[in-house]
Formats: sequence, C-alpha cells, structure tokens
Amino acid sequence: MKRSFVLVLVSLLLILAACGNKKSTDTTGSEKKNEKAEVNLYTSRHYDVDNELYKKFEDETGIKVNVIKGEADELIERIKREGTATQADLFLTADVGRLYRAKEQGLLQEVSSDKLSKQIPEKFRDSDDMWVGLTKRARVLVYNKDKVKPEELSTYEALVDNKWKGRFLVRSSESVYNQSLLASFIEIDGEEKAKEWAQGIVDNMARSPEGGDRDQAKGIAAGIGDVAIMNTYYLGQMLNSQDSEEVKVAEQLGIFFPNQETTGTHVNISGAGVVNGSKNADNALKLLEFLTGEEAQFTFAEANYEYPVNPDVEPAELLKSWGEFKEQEIPLEVLGENNAKAIMLFNEVGWK
Amino acid sequence: MKRRIANVNGWTIGALLIIILLFIPNLSIVTGIFAPNNENWEHIREFMLLNYIKSSLTLVFFTAILTIAIGLSLAWLIAQYDFPLRNFMKWSLILPLSIPPFIGAYTYHGILNYTGIIQKTLRNHFDVTVNQSYFDIMNVPGAIFIYTLFLYPYVYMITRIFLSNQAASLIESARTLGKGSIEIFLKVVLPISRVSIVGGVSLVILEVLNDYGVVKYFGIQTFSTAIFQTWFGLGDLNSSIKLAACLMGIVIFILLIEWALRGGKKYSFASTKVRPLPLVKLTGKKAAMATGYTLIIFTIAFLIPVLQLLDWVILTFGKVPMEEVLTYAKNSIIVAGTAALLIILFSLIIGNFSRITKHKFAKVLPKLTILGYSIPGAVIAVAVVTTFIAIDRYLAPVYIWLGVDSALVLSVSLVMLISAYIIRFFAIGYNSIESGYTKIGTDFRDASRMLGVSSLRTFFKIDIPMMKGAIISGFILTFVDILKEIPLTLILRPFNYDTLATKAFQYASDEKIMEASQASLLIVGVSAIAIFIFNKLLREGPK
Repeated sequence: MKRSFVLVLVSLLLILAACGNKKSTDTTGSEKKNEKAEVNLYTSRHYDVDNELYKKFEDETGIKVNVIKGEADELIERIKREGTATQADLFLTADVGRLYRAKEQGLLQEVSSDKLSKQIPEKFRDSDDMWVGLTKRARVLVYNKDKVKPEELSTYEALVDNKWKGRFLVRSSESVYNQSLLASFIEIDGEEKAKEWAQGIVDNMARSPEGGDRDQAKGIAAGIGDVAIMNTYYLGQMLNSQDSEEVKVAEQLGIFFPNQETTGTHVNISGAGVVNGSKNADNALKLLEFLTGEEAQFTFAEANYEYPVNPDVEPAELLKSWGEFKEQEIPLEVLGENNAKAIMLFNEVGWK
Repeated sequence: MKRRIANVNGWTIGALLIIILLFIPNLSIVTGIFAPNNENWEHIREFMLLNYIKSSLTLVFFTAILTIAIGLSLAWLIAQYDFPLRNFMKWSLILPLSIPPFIGAYTYHGILNYTGIIQKTLRNHFDVTVNQSYFDIMNVPGAIFIYTLFLYPYVYMITRIFLSNQAASLIESARTLGKGSIEIFLKVVLPISRVSIVGGVSLVILEVLNDYGVVKYFGIQTFSTAIFQTWFGLGDLNSSIKLAACLMGIVIFILLIEWALRGGKKYSFASTKVRPLPLVKLTGKKAAMATGYTLIIFTIAFLIPVLQLLDWVILTFGKVPMEEVLTYAKNSIIVAGTAALLIILFSLIIGNFSRITKHKFAKVLPKLTILGYSIPGAVIAVAVVTTFIAIDRYLAPVYIWLGVDSALVLSVSLVMLISAYIIRFFAIGYNSIESGYTKIGTDFRDASRMLGVSSLRTFFKIDIPMMKGAIISGFILTFVDILKEIPLTLILRPFNYDTLATKAFQYASDEKIMEASQASLLIVGVSAIAIFIFNKLLREGPK
C-alpha cells in the first residue's frame, strides 16, 4: 500500500513535469469565450450600501457583479501578480493614494466616456483618465460645544498653537486619512512646514493616538480633549446610530470646516479604475457610469453620509445642514505622490 | 534490514514532499530578504525598528507569563481536584479560544469606553463620571490583557490533557509517597509538563507576534503593524519582507529556546494504559475558592464578551440578513474543516517521519514547516498567489486540453485559500501531533514492527488509536484558528465568497462593531460547538 502511494506521488510529479510547457501561456483563446455578462470587482470598500448598488446594477443591466474585497494594497499586489491573466475588471478603493499607486504600477487603463465626463467634474478624475472619483469625504474638525467656541478655530495649521496643548485628539498615523491630510500639506506648504505641523500636533496631543475616528469623538465627550480631526461620515453614522449613547456623544460635538479663508478643507475620494488587461472592460465602464449616476450617487450620500461627486446630486439633508464649504484645490494625485513622504514625516516626529 | 530502509523511504518521501510544498511559497519571501537595502529600510531602521522590537517583546513576554500562570493553574486544578462545577469548567475554560482576539478587543473596548455599558450606567443612573484613564485599555497593558484572556486556553488545554492522562502515574506515585500538593506541583507537575507548557505558550507567542487586529485598533506599533505599514504605506513590499524576516528570526529564536527547554528530553510512557488521574475531592473553603477562581476566569474571558455581543445583536437585529450570515457560516465551516483535516493528515505523516527516522535532519526539517506561522497572513497570501499563478501558467496546456475556458483555475479556486491555510496554520496542528508522538514514544511501534507488521498497518492499528487525543485536540485548535483568520481569507477567497471572519472584520474595520456582532457571535458559536463536540469525543478523565 505504501509503495503504491509513493508510485502515485511520483507519477503525479511526472505528469506535472511532462505538461510543463512554458510557452503556451497566452490567454487569447479563453478571451473569446469569455463573453458572459459579468464584471469582476476588486474593492476595499465594504459597505452594505455598495452591495445594494451592485444588486441594482445587476437588475438593470443583467451584468453579474462578482466581488473580491480586501485591503487596497493587498488587492493591488494581487492584481500585479496575476499580471495579464488577471480576473479583475474594476479596482475600487476608498483613498486616492491607492488609485495613484495602482496607476503608477501600470495596473489601470484609460477609460473615458461622455457620460463619465458629464457625471464627474474634472477635479475628481485622473489627469490621464485612469481613475474616477465616486464619493467625496471631508476631513474636518469637531469640537466640544461647551468648551470651544467656533471662533477659536480657524485652520489645521492653527492647531499647533500652544493654547491647544493637551487638548487635541487624533487617530494614529497608520490611518490613510491622516496620511493623505499630511500629504496635502506637503504639497501646499512644503515638506519642512508639513513636518513642523506634524511635530506641533504631536506636542499638543491629549493622549497618544488610539482607536478610530469614532473614538476621537468619544474622547471629546469624555473630556479627554476638546478638538479632534474626523471624517464627516463617521459623525453622520454616530448621529444615526442605534446606540443612543453614541447619538448623545455626536450631539455634543460641533463641526468645523477648517481653512475656509485660506486653502480649503481637505477632501479625499473613494474612486475606481478599470484594470489593465480587464476582460470585461465594457461592463466595467458601465458599472462606473452607473455608480456615478444620479441614483447611485444619491444612495451613497443617503446611506453612508458621503458627499456625492456628481454635481447634479445633492448631499444628504444632514450634510446640507452642516453647510457648504470650500475644498482644497490641489490635484488629488499629489496625495498619492506624497503618501510615502508623509508616512516618513509621521515616523520622524513620533506620531504613532 | 533492506525492508526497513524501504519502509522508512515511504514516510520520508511523503514527508519531504509535504515539507517542500509547504515551503515553496515561503521561498519568494526568503528571496526578498536579500534584496538590497533601500532608503525606506534605512528610515525604518533609524526611526522605528527599536520601537517595534521593544513593544513586540513586551507584549510577548508578559502575555507568555500570564498565559502560563492562568493556563497551568487551571490545568492543575482541573486535572487534580474535584470541586463544584468542575465538569462544566473542564471544557468551558477552553471556550475563550473561540473568540478572536480582535473581536475580544472590540467588545472590551465597547464595554469599557465612554459610551459602554459601565460608564453609561454610572453616568446616567448614578451621575458618576469616571477618570477615563482607568477605563482605557487601548494600550500595551490592555493588549496584554486581551491576549491573555483569549489565548491562555492554548496552555490550559494542552497541559490539562497531558496532566490528566499521561502524567497520572507519576503524580499518583508522588501522592502515595505522601507529598503535599504544593510540593507535587513544584517537583513533579512543573518539570514533567514542561513540554506541554512550552508547546502551548509557543503557540501563544506566535499568535501574539502575528496578531494584527488588536494592535492596529489599539494603536500599538509592533512588527506586524510595521510590516503592513511598510507595505501599505510606503508601498515597499521588499522592506516589509525584510521586517517579516526579522520576525521570522525572532520566531526561530523562540523555537530554539523551546527546543533547548525540552533539552532534547523525551517523556514517553511505557504503559499502554492512558490512565486518568484519580481526583482529590475539595471541600469547604478550598472548594469554593477553586470554583470561584475558575468561574472568574470563565466570566471575564467568555461570558462577558459573549453577553456584550448578544446585546449588540439584539440592538442591530434585522440590519444584517440572516440567510446571508448563515451562508458565511457554512463557508467558514467547510474551508476551515477541510484545511484542518489536511493539516492533521500531513502532520501525522511528517511527525511519523520525524519520529522513526533517526537522522538529525529528520528532527530539524519539520521545524521549518512552522515558519509559515511566523509570517503575517498578508505576506503569505502574496506568496501563495504568486505560486498558484505560476502553477496555473504551468498547467495551462492541461486546461486547454480539458477545454476549460480560463487561464486561471487553481488560483481562483478554494484550493488556493485552503493551501494558504495549511501553510499558515500547519504549526498548530503539527505541534499537537508532535507532542502526541513524543508522548507515545516508539516502543509500541518497534514491538509491532518486530512482530512483522508493516509500517503503515502499525501506524493505523497502534499509533493512530494512541494518538486520538492529540489528533482531536490538534483538529479543534486548527479549525478554530482558521475560523478566526482574516488577512489570508480576505485576499485569497474566490469571487463572492465571504466567511464569518471576513464579514465581521469588514464591519469592524468600518467602525461598525455592532453590525459585526452577528457574524462574531456565530464564529464564537461554531467554535464553541466544535470544542464541545470534540471534548465529548475525547471522553478523557472521569465523568
């Protein structure tokens, strides 16, 4: 019995060796057959509302949406390694830096259509049409309404002032939102100033960074600090939480859009690009058009408290109640370009 | 003599093949180590490396001490004494293993933070506002607390099985000689259970070194956060592989210590009777203390987090469709079960090879398979994807011949995910099987072989039945661990395929821990059932 076991193993190896014919790896043969109506999505967004939208798209077009979810960089790495044989058609992620990286590594292809150009302002599209934005997120200040008057707040830069010493809360530098924020300052103020700012923030921190954005909000309610940096949609979610305590926390907070007189509030996007070598590129384009269309944009805004990129779609009521604001005017690509530099600066000043 | 060599060869070839298969994907990591140092690496070395080493070692050191203290004391209590609730505690104390540490961290943070049940109640009903720093667990001590609670069962489980079965005769002899409990504990139990303790605690250490969920949430910088940050943030896979290599170095160091602590000694038993230890009945105050102690551990490490999860499930009921969650549960059970079975099967083959081959090489080589456990899941995932795509390319003519209309078959199937699980979690199963082999030794095998029974038949008739305990506990441990796995599953699963863990993690990473509670609770439920069933199957120790 054991001998036959060995025999089977050896013969298996032989078969493998015999069939190993390296030259025939082209996939053209399979492409022809591959005309099933489907689109394969690699996404790092995992909100339930996204799934609802995919379902809606399936119902409307008959194109099946297949999804693999993961962290953006892991997905990028996977697409890269799959090379020409990749199954991915569309890469979707919640930060422009990652879109930039995918583009830099040659993983995306140019996609443009009249519909896309109409639905997405130029500002939220890549200069080479390699990716498009789907939703906007603003990184704002929140503050304790009892202890801070909005007049005391002005800019991100002013947060390094001595009066905020021991009063400032923010999550760790591992958060890509913080990285993009610092990347924007590198672009606007230069590396030296950006580093000084990061150092100043570290000096003013009420506690060493921990938890997510919601934890910063709770930290303010608990009196650990008075001002925090947060993404708007977390506040939206807290205000609409099933947990009445979270609602109470959020209600104690004021929201402030910084840098209105100067460079504008920092915004980042969720976005997507069609993968180079995609076998269903047409379907991917259709999905992009759908996701930036009015219906989907409205759903994003209503369910997730993100700002729509499509100018024809109004933000949700809650977002409107916070008022309009001036956005940073830098090209979003620079957030990607400066990302690594930003991380290094964070490390150098000891922003955990 | 000739026959003997031939027999050894069967196991040798099987074992070598598996070891190679386990090791191939890791090769792509090993090659990365030799890439030239770049600017990023210099930066990491200058600003970060010392911190990573310091915090990683702090976490490992204190978690190891505490898990040994708790795991061993519980194992000793359960193995030696009878007290109220003992039979329930015997298996319930393993249950904390069913809670993934990251979910444990989320629940405890949920309980303790500003909007959590404790502070909420104090604030709303008693008008008491507490000092936040007493309730803050998002720091190094907090992480140690979490790891200890949810990982001590590794030490407890392995040591208890050893104490109540294998060590019985020694402990009994000591008792007969009139030694007191403390003396028996120090002079008999501690030395003889060294192998089990070291085996258990090395699993704990490897889990801690590799954990990403807890440290990321708590904002603690360790090797695993550094590997991810270097890779994600700096986009530098090479430097992150170098960090992974440092981690691997630490793990090898730990394994060497483990090996040295065992001192090459074997504790095998010449008696076929795996005889349970007669229990000493505790009464009065002592009984109350024993029950109290076990109850406290069980409450903190299992009951409280589960109740919190239940509370959240009720709060968010209807938000997550039940059928979907059940599908994830089915997926989880299938992949984890398959992978765990294969791991045990492979472990049996390699373990047997290591046991019956006298060459030193055969003792050291299997240790290499444990390396998979030292490499962060995400890095393994990339290595596995690379390997499988290469295999797919290699097999392309076969696919065409078979009329398959895709260039990628294996690399988009569950085969890839399951293979990755096997590479990643082999150490868990193997550890258990290896200590099983150590316990039974080779005497019975030799006797059987001398009577002319074939190696394979001896294996099935003699070894497997004696190994039942090790096989079952190895299976549970691997199964439960795979059920909790995240990074590998996230990256390697086929399209539209979710497991409970990926679902829970996705909600949690969006800071929607309440929505994550359903899937989390199901992970706990499925693992708990597995632990319960297999514990029943084990049927060791008096009822």
